[in-house]
Amino acid sequence: MNRLSEDNTGKTLLLMGNEAIARGVIESGASVCAGYPGNPSSDIIDALVKESSELGIHVEWFVNEKVALEVAASAAMVGLRGFAAMKQNGLNVASDFLLNLNLSGIRGGLVLAVCDDPSGISSTNEQDSRLFARMGELPLLEPSDFQEAKDMVKEAFDLSETLGLPVIVHSVTRLSHARGNVSLGSIRKSDKTPYFDRSKPFINVPAPARAHLRLKEKMVRCLEIIEKSPFNSYTGPERPELLIITAGAGRFYCEEAIHNLAAENRVGLLNVASTFPLPRDLILKRLALASTVLFVEEGGPFLEEGVKEIYADHVSDLGVLKLLGKSTGELPSTGELNPDLIIDLLSQQLGIQRKKRPGEYQQGLSRAASNLVPARDLAFCAGCPHRATYWAIKKALALDGRDGFVCGDIGCYGMGSGPAGWSQMDTMQAMGSGTGVASGMGLLDSFGLKQPVIAVCGDSTFYHAAIPALINARQHESSFLLLILDNSATAMTGFQPHPGLGKTATGKTAPAVGLEDLCRAIGCPVETVDPYDIGKTTQSILGNLESPGVKVLVLKQTCALVRAKQGLPPSKVKVDQKKCIGDSCGCSRFCTRVFKCPGLIWDAGTGTARIDEAMCTGCGVCVQICPERAIVSEEA
Amino acid sequence: MTLEPTTLQLKKLVLDKGLCTQCGACHNLCPHYLGHGDRTVVFHDCDKTSGACYEVCPRTPTNLEALRQVMFDPADITAELGALKGLYITRASDPSIRGKAQHGGTVSALIQFALKEGIIEKAVLAGEEEILLPAGRGFSDPERVVDAAGSRFVVSPTVAAFNELAREDIETLGVVATPCQAMALAKMWISEVSRIHEASKKIGLVLGLFCGWAFNWKKLKNLLAEKLELETITRMDIPPSRFHSMIVETRDGRVEISIDELRDCVRPSCNYCFDMTAEFSDISVGSARLPSGWDESRGWNHLIVRTEKGQKLLEMARDAGCIEFHDVPEENLDRLKTAAAGKKREAAARLAQKSGTPGDLLYVPADDPLLRDCLTIP
Repeated sequence: MNRLSEDNTGKTLLLMGNEAIARGVIESGASVCAGYPGNPSSDIIDALVKESSELGIHVEWFVNEKVALEVAASAAMVGLRGFAAMKQNGLNVASDFLLNLNLSGIRGGLVLAVCDDPSGISSTNEQDSRLFARMGELPLLEPSDFQEAKDMVKEAFDLSETLGLPVIVHSVTRLSHARGNVSLGSIRKSDKTPYFDRSKPFINVPAPARAHLRLKEKMVRCLEIIEKSPFNSYTGPERPELLIITAGAGRFYCEEAIHNLAAENRVGLLNVASTFPLPRDLILKRLALASTVLFVEEGGPFLEEGVKEIYADHVSDLGVLKLLGKSTGELPSTGELNPDLIIDLLSQQLGIQRKKRPGEYQQGLSRAASNLVPARDLAFCAGCPHRATYWAIKKALALDGRDGFVCGDIGCYGMGSGPAGWSQMDTMQAMGSGTGVASGMGLLDSFGLKQPVIAVCGDSTFYHAAIPALINARQHESSFLLLILDNSATAMTGFQPHPGLGKTATGKTAPAVGLEDLCRAIGCPVETVDPYDIGKTTQSILGNLESPGVKVLVLKQTCALVRAKQGLPPSKVKVDQKKCIGDSCGCSRFCTRVFKCPGLIWDAGTGTARIDEAMCTGCGVCVQICPERAIVSEEA
Repeated sequence: MTLEPTTLQLKKLVLDKGLCTQCGACHNLCPHYLGHGDRTVVFHDCDKTSGACYEVCPRTPTNLEALRQVMFDPADITAELGALKGLYITRASDPSIRGKAQHGGTVSALIQFALKEGIIEKAVLAGEEEILLPAGRGFSDPERVVDAAGSRFVVSPTVAAFNELAREDIETLGVVATPCQAMALAKMWISEVSRIHEASKKIGLVLGLFCGWAFNWKKLKNLLAEKLELETITRMDIPPSRFHSMIVETRDGRVEISIDELRDCVRPSCNYCFDMTAEFSDISVGSARLPSGWDESRGWNHLIVRTEKGQKLLEMARDAGCIEFHDVPEENLDRLKTAAAGKKREAAARLAQKSGTPGDLLYVPADDPLLRDCLTIP
């Protein structure tokens, strides 16, 4: 049963924040839903894909976030409702389009869900995307619980159509990945026939400033609507000792802190529906009744600074207020918030002793944790082709001996920057930047840079962003080796399809856009090897480090998890217990200590290595690295 | 001994100090070291603070006295040339061996004989991996030994091949070794690491080669490539120093290259070597010197017998008629001693310079009694 497409108004479901957003999109009657995978946003489109055939909506993963937003916008230009979802970096990629679309406007509704990752737990950066709303002067709604995650999407579509502007719905990991009760609404069916009205083109030139003026007028209207939004809320005394202004996931922490300290009649909590534009009159009303104000929000001091602007304009009326938050240091200005931070701060401000756990309990907890939860590095799966790739890179660069380095990129293979890949990645910024930076490095020999340059790029990353960089490298005769790690998957984000796989999100076959063909068309020499063959891969990399120009080596081997899902029977390997010399000089636990595949176990009792049959995928790479040839392959 | 991993110790003491001779002793012992071209690299650090690699490396601190005690009769020991039971001038009796050899063909003849007689089961010789780059290979067919004849001017990591072959079900191996390689094999005799000691039992015979220095592979290749087509090289030789040149025979003719040009191509680690005659072997062989001049002496070898085993081999080979002998001019022994002592003095001076402390000769014990006899240590 497709749960999210249930036409059952009033039924309560336990939904993940991202599922609630998806349900909101369904209830809004969106026709086109687009995205590129990126945590913490991927579940939204993943959920919509499941419902797409049932609901007759077009849901797909597109090659990158800019194209995804362009596709969603196309629906909105012809009177349908379009939706796009992405993580903070995706918004960066889509931003040029968005910062033009704000001026050229849309006709149907367009909602853009942006999910930030405070602390960058699964990201290359930490970023507060809400600043794009300020820069683009676009409405930014901040759902603060699961019901709002659904309902505010509907609000966003209505607002978008009223204003003729894309509307941003903002979420963070804390909301996107937690679960709560959501009461379903009715599903709106799209009854529009799409039509492009040529009398109303979407173009900003020749006078973008005029279009800008029109945008400003729209935002004045937007403010009027936001002031009256039912999603603004205030709880607490009329004249609170402490006024907290919050938005989005910040509200969870505040409610928990107030409850923990039983401070309901001392603290007022103002939760705003939108942080751009801020509901100015509502805020001024509450500031007038307060003396101390605390700002609680995930991300940067966006809400905080916005309110300070409003305050600055009215300081003569409001008098001196004590303002606390991220920019004044009461709360950390980096990293994800947690309830303890807010509880401790409130306890300090209000002089309330916090209910704490007894010391022995805390100590016992730490002891148990250290015994049962050993510290672990991020690791590649057993059988991951990237482990073999980084081993070959490490070997080739050691043999080459000229201090070669690796410009890296984003994906599972991004973990190569750490112990999982023996730190064989030296730069990592945005999608496709590995190839871009390498194409620059490959031009620096005229200044005396003698170190060989390698770029690594995944298959999905390649289609997303690396192609222009490769064209650039070819045109400028930059000298480096591009390793494309083709594991036939967008693995890190959950195995969404990409253009090379020949199928769509809904599983239909589609033309495959050939990766090697693209590289050859650009004019690069292209070779393909299986990374599981360590010897051959090392030699291929080594051989390509001296010649000039850009060369492409495709390391093609299916992701171990994709293989497992395909049900292909794994072959087996075994450690010959008589041949294994274990800890002795000559090996020193090379396979478990250095290679570190989780399929290998060090048995301290026997002093030898053995295979974990539950983990091992039979890839056979360890067979090649054992110095005693004690590991052997067997037929499954 | 420090508490750092052995790989790090070797890196600091030998590799980073430019002392590595690429003898290959640390290759094929474990997967932490890799050899490529004429370089040794540490692939990944080991976690052991003592190990075989450190023990066998000829450039880690070496107890020369202990080696001499195990290998030689103290009565035979000379300060300049090591153990010397006898000095001979020899050549292979078989002209076809001489035709393929560098000079007298003595090494090829002795190895061929040792294989035929079953004194050794396999010989570890220098084959060719790439143009001008040798690698160690095992030979069991006596007729194929001449394929490996001829001097190499770039060092061959022959001990790497020995390490590999020693794992096989084999009782005795013969090795043709440069002085640094012979040193590595000798250090295996006194190693306390059991697997090294087991491997050392398989050393049936060490035929050492006289050596002045070797070239860096890339530099030699690049220099020669400027002057000729590398694929056409048929033979290379460095005549006695008074000729001040290297001769390269090619299919298109003969090219003479001044030693001055080649100086920059010398492998830097060779500047720190004190052993001209491969002192730690059973028999050592080099090119001969005769009063009649190079045209005659180039067809003969100097041969030093050092051990009982070497003595026996030479006598058996003589009796079988595969080795011919020439009178040894009286002055040759002294001349060899002078040349050998000169190399020790130069090495000592350079080692003291590298260490920064007079009296600190890095891997060589400065208080070694025999070394002191040859040197004037400030």
